[in-house]
Amino acid sequence: MNTSSATLRSAVLLVLVTAVGCGKTPPASFRLNMVQATKTAAPESGMEKPWSSWARDRQGQVATILEAMYGTPDEPIALAETGLDLAKLQLAAGPVRSDIVGRKNGLYREHCSHCHGISGDGMGPTAAFLNPYPRDYRPGKFKFKGTWRDARPARDDLTRVLHEGVPGSSMPSFALLPPAQVDALVEYVRYLSMRGETELALYTYAEQELGVDDTMPTTKEFLVDEILTPIVEKWQGAEEAKIPVAAVPTNVDFTKSGDDPANQESVARGRVLFHGDGGCVKCHGVTALGDGQANDYDDWNKVIVEWSKEVAGGLGATQDDAGRSAWLHAAADVIEGDALRPRTIPPRNLRLGLYRGGRRPVDLYRRLYTGINGAPMPGVGPSGPGGKGSVADAEIWHIVNYIRSLPYEFDGELGADRPMVAKDRF
Amino acid sequence: MGKRLAGIFWSLLFLAVPVLGVATFAIAPAYDHWLPKDVSEHGASIDSLFYFILALTGVVFVVTEVLLFWFMWKYDAAKQQGGATYIQGSHTLEVVWTIIPAATLLFLAIYQMNAWADVKMRRPAMSPTVEVVARQFEWRLRYPGRDGTLGTADDLFLVNDLHLPIDEDVLVQLKSMDVLHSFFLPNVRIKQDAVPGMKIPVWFKAREAGEFDIVCAELCGWGHYKMKGRVTFEPRAAFDAWLERKYAEQGATQPPPEAADVAAAE
Amino acid sequence: MTPPPVTATPAVEHGTVVGHAHGHAPKGGLSHFLSTYVFSKDHKVIGLQFLFSTLLWFLIGGLLALAVRWQVAWPWSDVPVIGKLFAQEGGQMSPEFYTMLFTMHASVMIFLVIIPILAGAFGNFLIPLMIGADDMAFPTLNMLSYWFMWPAFICFGASFFVEGGAASGGWTSYPTLSTNPASSPASGMGQTLWLLGLTFVGVSSMLGSVNYMTTIILMRAPGMTMFRLPMTIWAMFITAILQAFALPVLTAAGFMQLSDRMLGTGFFSPEGNVVNNAIAGAGGGQPLLWQHLFWFYSHPAVYIMILPAMGMVSDILTVYARKPLFGYRPMVYSIAGIAGLGFIVWGHHMFMSGMNPALGITFMVSTMMIALPSAVKTFNWLGTLWGGKIQFTTSMLFALSFVSMFIIGGLSGIFMAATPVDIFIHDTYFIVAHFHYVLFAGTAMGVWAAIYFWFPKMFGRTMNEFWGKVHFFLTFIFLNGTFFTMHILGAVGFPRRLADAYHYETFHHLQPMNAFMTYCAIGMVATQVIFAANFIYSMFWGPLAGRNPWNANTLEWTAPSPPGHGNFDYQPIVYRGPYEYSVPGVEKDHLMQTDPPNAAAAAAAAAAH
Repeated sequence: MNTSSATLRSAVLLVLVTAVGCGKTPPASFRLNMVQATKTAAPESGMEKPWSSWARDRQGQVATILEAMYGTPDEPIALAETGLDLAKLQLAAGPVRSDIVGRKNGLYREHCSHCHGISGDGMGPTAAFLNPYPRDYRPGKFKFKGTWRDARPARDDLTRVLHEGVPGSSMPSFALLPPAQVDALVEYVRYLSMRGETELALYTYAEQELGVDDTMPTTKEFLVDEILTPIVEKWQGAEEAKIPVAAVPTNVDFTKSGDDPANQESVARGRVLFHGDGGCVKCHGVTALGDGQANDYDDWNKVIVEWSKEVAGGLGATQDDAGRSAWLHAAADVIEGDALRPRTIPPRNLRLGLYRGGRRPVDLYRRLYTGINGAPMPGVGPSGPGGKGSVADAEIWHIVNYIRSLPYEFDGELGADRPMVAKDRF
Repeated sequence: MGKRLAGIFWSLLFLAVPVLGVATFAIAPAYDHWLPKDVSEHGASIDSLFYFILALTGVVFVVTEVLLFWFMWKYDAAKQQGGATYIQGSHTLEVVWTIIPAATLLFLAIYQMNAWADVKMRRPAMSPTVEVVARQFEWRLRYPGRDGTLGTADDLFLVNDLHLPIDEDVLVQLKSMDVLHSFFLPNVRIKQDAVPGMKIPVWFKAREAGEFDIVCAELCGWGHYKMKGRVTFEPRAAFDAWLERKYAEQGATQPPPEAADVAAAE
Repeated sequence: MTPPPVTATPAVEHGTVVGHAHGHAPKGGLSHFLSTYVFSKDHKVIGLQFLFSTLLWFLIGGLLALAVRWQVAWPWSDVPVIGKLFAQEGGQMSPEFYTMLFTMHASVMIFLVIIPILAGAFGNFLIPLMIGADDMAFPTLNMLSYWFMWPAFICFGASFFVEGGAASGGWTSYPTLSTNPASSPASGMGQTLWLLGLTFVGVSSMLGSVNYMTTIILMRAPGMTMFRLPMTIWAMFITAILQAFALPVLTAAGFMQLSDRMLGTGFFSPEGNVVNNAIAGAGGGQPLLWQHLFWFYSHPAVYIMILPAMGMVSDILTVYARKPLFGYRPMVYSIAGIAGLGFIVWGHHMFMSGMNPALGITFMVSTMMIALPSAVKTFNWLGTLWGGKIQFTTSMLFALSFVSMFIIGGLSGIFMAATPVDIFIHDTYFIVAHFHYVLFAGTAMGVWAAIYFWFPKMFGRTMNEFWGKVHFFLTFIFLNGTFFTMHILGAVGFPRRLADAYHYETFHHLQPMNAFMTYCAIGMVATQVIFAANFIYSMFWGPLAGRNPWNANTLEWTAPSPPGHGNFDYQPIVYRGPYEYSVPGVEKDHLMQTDPPNAAAAAAAAAAH
């Protein structure tokens, strides 16, 4: 009895061990930005090879370069020129360790990758079901930051988003992670972003500079000086690219509510600006319910929308050119399989009291000043240092004051989804 | 003989159930696999009820399992010469083992009502200390601010990082924005589902300062596991100072000088 | 051990020989095959169809459980073997896949395994045989009750492959997670299929339960009074009543949820409920309403999932203890008591739900009271063993383990019934331990006891005893390794359904314990290979059993093994209750229900001389 069950148990264990051994999945790898790879690879005349194998070759060259510059999700590389901190990257990269007690790395895959994707493309397994979609880091655009509109975010901007989450989206707060881990994740996001921008730059270079038969140059001068340096400069410049924040006018008191005598004058001025020079009503609507123009896309979705129109148009017309036809079909497949279905971006309902970029007066000020990078929301401040905005810097505080008073103001319209004041809805 | 050995083997296997069962429960606390530290005022009554039921069921468990073992041991067919005893039942026994458990269970039910009422029914007459709004997948917190009233412009908004004073009653107003969640404070012995469309009061009094987990205990979607919060109990003075600090941060009209290490400062 | 010698022909001396009441002329070809083995109206074929289908789903459910255990023990690490099937990136499981796994594990185990294997497989196979009927009262309905499972099989099976995956709102499908398609990836098509599948299971159960009730009331053999019915039949009867009265509520609730999802009604969604930035329906509903409706069915369903096993175990214990059941009538009354009280305890699932805490007190009292009949049953099982002559067959070992494990499952229930304690252990692994002790260590062990016990009647051959005992031993060890430790996790407050709980300080140190449990779970599932091999081998090559291999008393053992169409070659006539073992003064240690009294008297007289 006992011997036979022991034999049996060892047999069972053997079977299991074999099964586990065979089941090892290949190590994780970065995905190429197929939308850009295909979009920038329109066939040209004089191609020797069929388009698809030509395109595959070029994608292979890009992948090789990227791996040489940035490594793999399990083993990141931080070139000295990027200024990235390899120790931090290693903390964030790699698979999640199973021995929980000593869990040290794999932070990104533990907390982020199921939405933002292992490549930072905003297309993790969960992404398609989220509204709004998770951020695609690869273009290097970030919405909620204290730098100039086109500038990259500073480190503390990213830290703040991790810390506070993005209310009204699926991005949760990671305030409870130890600061060292948040730091590591911020660094890893910068890494993924630089990698994505490098990839984009390579495609753009290939589209503009390379002939049909040329291969991608792999010299250090080209890759570092021509491609990488401009990207890194933007990121490193971000720390210095903060917008100025004007002093708060004396008739604004953010510690008091909007209908307090201390604020009445300012809120009234804010309302005028909201409806007038600020131009806010165009999208946010007269009632600020976000019911103005609402059919626009943000930059991430707009790329797909426009390109898919182009591709659909091309596919509709008869194609004599085999290469072009192959390209269009490949494009249609990429739009179907490698991109999320585009969604419009509705203007924010300002009566909910939910502010995605933060509810501090300074957060609202920044949103108004620079607008939201990547989204249709324009800024009312100047577009760069020394410029002039549609509203004077100090006056922006009045709009902030007005917006802060909105959730507590009766909007005169009651409906199923509109309680009397939004404060009860949070 | 082989059959007798088999009988001994199987009886002992069944004896292992109460032996190892009791041993598991006896050893677990030594390895900290046991009730987490309790810092609440009412928690002691819950824990003592837990131990009371554990002792009661433990006795029943051991007695019945050992009886089962003993019957297997003693009445093994391989050991017996004669036949089985023809017994169809016993009216007296049936009455005894109906009445005794009935009385015990009823006693248990009545005995516990007070503890239940303390935690869930005797709400202190006070306005909410904080509003906790559960959301996929975080705990949104709202303090009433200086005017002490929720739903005014001076409310203080925070995420996941709940601070509460010790040695006084606190009343949490629990809401949910989207789906069911459950506000679970293991160290305070508090659990209450957050239900969309309902405002549910939760109250307790913490006796000790410290930082503890807030856990979501009701499936709320794919990110259920990551709905982690932290509750910090601190003396009133420290709590007020913390409130003031957060209040100042929320009212910031300039980027804070130490912004680079917002996380580090926490 | 070798099976006891076969008693030859049934001891029916003046019973009338009956032919097949509705014998079919033998037909050849496909239509014959279809009507005999596929669309059969014979209760035995239908019972076996249920048995094979549910065992197959049992395997699927078990594998789902392993995947769940993998994630709990080693979160986010690459999943072996099946990792490839859904490997997103690097082979780690995504959190929504994990929620889908435990939802479908529970749904499959409850709706496609436990309920149909008890009522469908054993209810069908045993009821006519044990009451001496030639078939069910409504053979066509009976056939339909099996074939209505197929749409459910298809819905549940297909839901794994639709966009977003299978349902992931927990087997309880609480709104608004389940009603709002935007709330989770699988709350779309997967959840709709889940609801449809549930409805089909409901139709199947309903068809079965009216059939069982009618059959048991109207078709008992001459002399088979209600209080001569074996406990198995009593349990099946009460279960059928429970099903018939509780199911309509679930079906209605299921349709309400479907309508919330598809037609935009708002039974379960409150006004202004926004999930994932999508407004759900019209609003004006109450999420708690679903919980009340759901548990109004699902609590009685818990008894639907245990009572038949209790009945079968009672019978098996008496056979191998060679002793009458201790307290037959109290056993019947306690089953009825459980069924009656079962309708007024549903609220104990909702102590923390936000329902009025005063209601919690009433439900606590009724829940405490329902422990009473269970306790009575346990004492009676012990009483049955007392003074017996116990034969340690595989079937008996499983039946004994049912008693042993049910004690644990029953006692741990008291912790949850106590509302103040429930505040702490609600939705932790304590409850997971509790219902696995009742449903796996209880019902599944009872089912194995029943399979080893009635296998000869099903296939005419006995299963291998040695490998049966190996199967029992390993299952018993591994199941306790897996489930007993869950109590300890529960005591720490370790919440269920968390894809990764170790980032909480409170639960950080529990990973080694969980890894141990997962090893045990893997062992437990692997052990079932022995069972499957034994089952299939014995079906074709096991030793022939004869009519009554275990010297049991009940009517099915008077029929041939396996019984032909129409079951009995003699019309059974019942003279006594089912538990006349070791009757003093009778030479033979058992008196079958059909043994005529004069034969018993003669035997007694012979013994006296």
